[in-house]
Amino acid sequence: MLNYFDVELSDEERLVQRTTRDWIDAEAMPLIAECFEAGQFPAQLIPRLAELGLLGASLPKYGAGLPYSCYGLICQELERCDTGLRSFVSVQSSLCMYPIYTFGTEEQKERYLPKMVRGELIACFGLTEPDHGSDPSSMETRVEPDGDGWVLNGTKMWITNGTIADLAIIWARSPDGIRGFAVETDTPGFSAREVHHKLSLRASVTAELHFQDVRLPGSAILPGTTGLGSALKCLNEARFGIAWGTVGAAMACFESALEYSKIRPQFGKPIAGFQLTQLKLADMLTAITQGQLLALQLGRLKDSGRLRPVQVSVAKRANSMMALEVARTARTILGGNGISLEHPIFRHMVNLETVITYEGTHEIHSLVIGQDLTGLAAYS
Amino acid sequence: MNIIVTIKQVPDPDIPPIHFKVDEAAGKVVPPPGVAPVMNGYDANALEAALKLKEAHGGRVTAITLGGQEARDTLKRAVAMGADAAVLIDDPNLREGDSFTTATALARAIEKVGEYDLILCGRQASDTDAGQVPLGLGEILGLPTISPVIAIESTNGGVKAHRMIEDGQQVIEAQLPAVMAVSSEIGEPRYPPLRGIMMAGRTQIPVWTAADLGLDDGSAAPKVQLRRLYIESREQACELVDGDTPEEIAAALAQKLREAKLI
Repeated sequence: MLNYFDVELSDEERLVQRTTRDWIDAEAMPLIAECFEAGQFPAQLIPRLAELGLLGASLPKYGAGLPYSCYGLICQELERCDTGLRSFVSVQSSLCMYPIYTFGTEEQKERYLPKMVRGELIACFGLTEPDHGSDPSSMETRVEPDGDGWVLNGTKMWITNGTIADLAIIWARSPDGIRGFAVETDTPGFSAREVHHKLSLRASVTAELHFQDVRLPGSAILPGTTGLGSALKCLNEARFGIAWGTVGAAMACFESALEYSKIRPQFGKPIAGFQLTQLKLADMLTAITQGQLLALQLGRLKDSGRLRPVQVSVAKRANSMMALEVARTARTILGGNGISLEHPIFRHMVNLETVITYEGTHEIHSLVIGQDLTGLAAYS
Repeated sequence: MNIIVTIKQVPDPDIPPIHFKVDEAAGKVVPPPGVAPVMNGYDANALEAALKLKEAHGGRVTAITLGGQEARDTLKRAVAMGADAAVLIDDPNLREGDSFTTATALARAIEKVGEYDLILCGRQASDTDAGQVPLGLGEILGLPTISPVIAIESTNGGVKAHRMIEDGQQVIEAQLPAVMAVSSEIGEPRYPPLRGIMMAGRTQIPVWTAADLGLDDGSAAPKVQLRRLYIESREQACELVDGDTPEEIAAALAQKLREAKLI
């Protein structure tokens, strides 16, 4: 792990980081470029992710109950391979297992969480809609009470894992506000269509979900959900993982560019020996180190229960843009070779274009921070 | 079946050769900065073999290492993989020793652990590649020792080891307890699951000194005297063999190889 400032990790953190990295290097790295090119999620890795305990790793009782700093390091290592892989784990763990654990009944927890930890049940999270991204409070997806159950109608868009999910955590407007529902995807009226022609996150499944008079049992509601704030809590969990994951993507780009610069001769010497290349390397190293320290402090705050949601916004916003800029700079060091899938940089670069947009756009996080600083909301 | 696995922490063998440095004056390998040491590969194979035997036949697996405090990482990895207990032997007088020192210290520690049926070691460590410690352990403990082992089967009251030899395999039956030095063919080590890592975090690892092992009398003093530690310089030269036809090139190449006494 790139560790220029001798960041001190606990024994546990080191072991988690090392184990995840070793596994990624051995089993995920060899597949990823081909999956990206083919537009396929490496689903064959799901049983191994589960076996290692990487699904719901920080969940008490059902998962390993690891400290959040360890979960962050897992995200870093996963995204060092590919954002798609980290996104799969983020969605399964932070966006789906977390709300079931936090807002669900004991029955829901027992029904879903053990299978989700084992990777036998895959889930997706539906909040964004075709016409409502940054403004989810205007969502059009509705549930109406119907006898002892509910009827769900609407559409969700940009849903990671959508077509491979067995369960969908769906946020819908009910007569008493926005609530979360655990919707089994084989329920009649539920359909999922994969989004094709993506130029980013190609090793990840993205889908549109459609609900046509989907009849849900009364037990489908996550009773602890009390409005949009509950959905935003889930997103905050996932953004924590992004703040770490993007550091991993940036490390991969930096390491690739550094190695390349040492072996690529131009004008009679390796390009690493030119001042302009060294300036780029120094800038990238500095940015990654800042991001790493930010992520680490984010983890320390979360583990000690002192983390404020706005601090997650700061870190998600800063580190995703940092990683994108590192990727762009790293690409220039590789010149024309940088656009090839033989190197990881361009793949990370186009993935990171998504990362600065999903789970709260860069702009919306700016407004979250702005509101915290000034006390004035500037959303509309 | 109670099994003791001896484990060594070594510099990461995957580091680029350029990062491998020795301090000639001190006669020591300089740890590469920023690269964490790892569990010796063959020792990880031995641990995996022990865990598989435990899963099949029950019992207890104990990992022992001789090293500094940093070697705790490797022991915790062993516990995270599934070992039931781990022991660290840490003493400045033992750390500077040779294979004899290590074998003596491990033998004393094994005796102190007590009940055991099988001692599994890696066939050699990737830093020195000496392969002496398993044989030393067998000698000191007076136990049958088999190396290199590529498969282990438990038999009625004993054990059957498949030993790699030049032209095939030798199957040897041994009474327990026995020492076996395991090779990588026995199977890839598992990744420690995160639940195991959490457990490892809570496991107490006792530290035994030379005095705890009755070795503060110098009886484990090294037998080998290190004369010089250095990195051999290597020179590479490339010569293109020329000729008008493939036959001519082949003949010229054969001539040159003959002159170099390579054929």
